[in-house]
Formats: sequence, structure tokens, C-alpha cells
Amino acid sequence: MKKLLFSIFLISAGLTVNAQNPTFSPSTFTAEDQVTLTVDLTGTGMAGAAQAYIWIFSNPDLPGGADGITNGSWGNSSAAAEMTNVGTNKWSFTFTGTTMFGQSPAQLKSFGFLAKKKDGSSQSPDYKPFFFDPLVFVPTMLRIFPAKVGSDDVVTMNFDRAYGVSVNEQRMTPVTATVTMFDETGAQVGSPLNVTVRSTASTIWSASYIPSISFTPGAGHKLAKFKYKFNGTLLDPSGATITVSSSETEIIFTTMQ
Amino acid sequence: MKIVLKNGLMMLVAALMFSACSPVERKELGAPRNILESIAGTWKLTKATQVDEDASKKGFPYKELDITSLFPYTNFVLTLNLTGGAPGTFTTTPGTSPKIIKLASGNWTVDNAEYPKDITLTSGVITEKISLGGYPVGASNTLKLKVERSVLLPAGPKLLISYSYEFAKQ
Repeated sequence: MKKLLFSIFLISAGLTVNAQNPTFSPSTFTAEDQVTLTVDLTGTGMAGAAQAYIWIFSNPDLPGGADGITNGSWGNSSAAAEMTNVGTNKWSFTFTGTTMFGQSPAQLKSFGFLAKKKDGSSQSPDYKPFFFDPLVFVPTMLRIFPAKVGSDDVVTMNFDRAYGVSVNEQRMTPVTATVTMFDETGAQVGSPLNVTVRSTASTIWSASYIPSISFTPGAGHKLAKFKYKFNGTLLDPSGATITVSSSETEIIFTTMQ
Repeated sequence: MKIVLKNGLMMLVAALMFSACSPVERKELGAPRNILESIAGTWKLTKATQVDEDASKKGFPYKELDITSLFPYTNFVLTLNLTGGAPGTFTTTPGTSPKIIKLASGNWTVDNAEYPKDITLTSGVITEKISLGGYPVGASNTLKLKVERSVLLPAGPKLLISYSYEFAKQ
């Protein structure tokens, strides 16, 4: 019985150590976020090493893997792969997935790494796989295209009835979209603009405008953000046509060049 | 008799193989194509496409939109003139189209006269840079220009939106 309990303790301890080594800061990250990994190399072939170099690779055991651009060659790691000592046998390294692997967020699913001496004479075991947070598209009732716009861009506002929240939003047939513009002080610019919508899919209606053409800010001011909503019709319980509007959402312009 | 037949057959095969060989006539390649001459002229916009580069990179479902018919883009006319075979002046005539190039007139230059990739339009101290997406080649009289829109981040510029414009020669 004692042996059994001791074995369970050892297995649990091993799992616990494994779960905490390496650690990541921040703890969750996408392929576009900068992340710092810290690994404890105690008990590995790299224990006691004076220097450590990372050998990093994307999508281990998956198609579409790539070596990190800092790897260099196995017998001569590049200087950019050198890890920072942060304690006895503890080493850290900071990187951004898309930059490190030269791959897009859509291509990057996970990564793995090991620590090694510059000449490759000693190494740790592989640490893998660690998954990037997916950059997932979340469908919503109101959506603009492109997702980030400046005041000179063509802005297309979309209403998807399939994601309507209220009963009216789930039943309405949009006719117009109303745009209200604001400058950087929060003051409204001009009068609200009504744009005729077009049907672009079975449950989607769209309306497009160019902010800098439709609105002129006051002297010394600039267009900073806008609110938009869709207006339409539906039949009430008596069969009469009534006019309704969706909820409103706000978009802040991105400064682009 | 068999040896005679065998030798005769071998000679026949050899003769056939030799007769199959003939010198290959290589035609002259001709003078290198002058891309600047093909770019110069008056061009009218025929197609405009907006691409959400960030959405494309992330594999999102809504990546690009044909905006040609949303606004009167097809009224936009661009004229590129050569001076002594080199880039010279330019004019833009938007009509009722959105001003895809804000400068009305000025001078244009290219990054590489033989294989241009970027066109820089200058009017006084103001410049606009557009990329060449495709040259007019052979029977195709289409000029493709690309305008990119980026946000400046501490790590450098990040491309968010691009516009592709196709022009037909007038």
C-alpha cells in the first residue's frame, strides 16, 4: 500500500513539474503577441551550462513546420538565439511567433523548442507542443469591412439577421443604415447620413460610404469615430408594416498612412 | 547470312538516328521590352478591389470586396507622360470618382527604370507612392496599381488594407 501511495505521489509530482516547466509570460498569447518563455533545465543535459541557445520550431508533429529564424546551424547557433540566464539552470527567451517563423497566424498552430550549447554538444529534451491562441473570426450582427478603417477608406457596414439579438433584429428587413459622425472632441459632425442598403447574402445586408467624402469636420478638427445602425421594416401581429432599428455600435478610426 | 542481316539492321537504325538530328534554329530574342513606354499613356479605371490584409493573414472569411460599382470609380483617369523616354509629368482626372490618387498633377518617377515596382508621384513637397501590380503585356492593355494602407506600430508598419486598381489604356 505504501509503495502504491509513493508511486502515486511520484507520478503526481512529475506531472506537476512538467505542467510548470516551461512557463510563459503572458500565459496566453496569439502568434502575433510577444511572449517570454522561461525554462528550468535542471536534470537535463544542459544543467550547469554557462550559456544556452534556443532551437525553436513551429507546428511540431503537424504539417507546415518551420525552423526559427534565429536557430542558425546545429553546430553553430546564431547569437540571436542566445537565452538569458534568470537563475540557476533557468533560462528565458522572448519572441513573437509570426516574426520568429516567418509564417502567418493562420499557418501557426503550435511551437516547440529545446535548449542547447552553441556547438550542439549538449542539449535538453524537446519541449512541445505549445499552442498559440487562435485568432478566430467571431460572427456578429453588426460588422464593418475592412475590420479596421481610416476616414479615407471605403467603409462597408454589414447587418447579419442570423445574429440578431432582439426579436425585431431577428425579423427586420433592413432598408437604410444611419451613420452618425464625431470628431476627436466627441462633437457630432454634420447631420446623420442615411445610406441605402443592398442585400449581399440570404441574411446579410450591406451599406457603404467613404467618411471623408460624406462628412467634413470643423476647421482644426478631424473625423475620429462613427456610430451606425440599420433601419428596416417588419410586420406586426396585426399584419401592419412597422419601422424598426437595430442596436447601434461605435467604430473608432485607425490612423493609417 | 544472319551476321549480314544484323549488321545491316544496325546500320539502318544508326542512319535513322542520325537523320533525325537537325540543327535547331534559334530565333533572335529581340530588344528588351521597354516597360516605361508600356506604362505611359492615358488610363481609365475599370476595376477597384479592397482587401482586408489583416483578415487575409488571419484566414478570416471576409477578405476582399469588389468596390467598382459602389462608387463611380470608372470615371477616374490617369495620364502618365514620358519626357525623352524617362518618366515625366502626370495628371489625374477623377470626375465623380473617389480620388484614389489625391494629387491632381505633378511629376512621376519609378524605383527602377528597367523593372519598375513602385511609382512615386510628386507635386511640390507632397508625394504619393503606388505599387505596380502588373504591366501591360502583349495584347493585354491592363495596368494594375496597388495602394497600401498601414498602421505604424513600435515594431514597424503593419499592413491593414490594400486597394487594387485595374486600368484600361485609352
